Amino acid sequence: MEEKIKVYALSTCPYCKRTKRFLDEHKLAYDCTDVDLLDDDKQDAVLEEIESITGRRSFPVVIIGKEIIVGHDEERLRRALGL
Amino acid sequence: MTDAHERVYCPVCQANFMFVDGWRDGDTVVCPVCGQRLTLRAKDGSWVGDRVDPMTEEEIRDRVENFAKFRGYRFTDVKDEVIEGLVGKQKRFGDFYCPCRMLHMPDYQCPCRPTRGGDVERSGRCHCGLFWK
Repeated sequence: MEEKIKVYALSTCPYCKRTKRFLDEHKLAYDCTDVDLLDDDKQDAVLEEIESITGRRSFPVVIIGKEIIVGHDEERLRRALGL
Repeated sequence: MTDAHERVYCPVCQANFMFVDGWRDGDTVVCPVCGQRLTLRAKDGSWVGDRVDPMTEEEIRDRVENFAKFRGYRFTDVKDEVIEGLVGKQKRFGDFYCPCRMLHMPDYQCPCRPTRGGDVERSGRCHCGLFWK
């Protein structure tokens, strides 16, 4: 299983940190965007993209192939990642 | 007898709460709506509260403790991480806005309007998981 992992997070959000920590602990490579650290113009575009994918603006968002996980949910992460 | 009760303006939650007889200019009081500690100041015939220790970690810790006590809410092991996030929001966005949202406006100053409006009773916790029922 070699799906790319994409994470949208906020640098101030503890649950985003927990999700990143979980992926780090399992030595999984992932691409992460801390949305609050982006420049204003990029930030709006990314927020709209997140809303179009998930229907809301909640964090973290983890995209693994077709699986989209909103919020820190280790059970779903394990299942999606085959851990 | 006048029916115009004196009120105090809280700059955090923007509520005008009831002035209590005996309070004087310079007294320190706690906003009964959001828990912010304020120094009373007479201004143009009314009262405003100035934030005590503004923009410090002490301020936000004191505020959330007071709010939780008023409402009977509890904290969990994520509390210090949420506080750290609130301090991060203050540094980057100028005030203690919800660390798990991208909304930097007075309504989302912690404790945010949805939380003050009963989100914890409805959901068991606030959006950021700081306050729990």
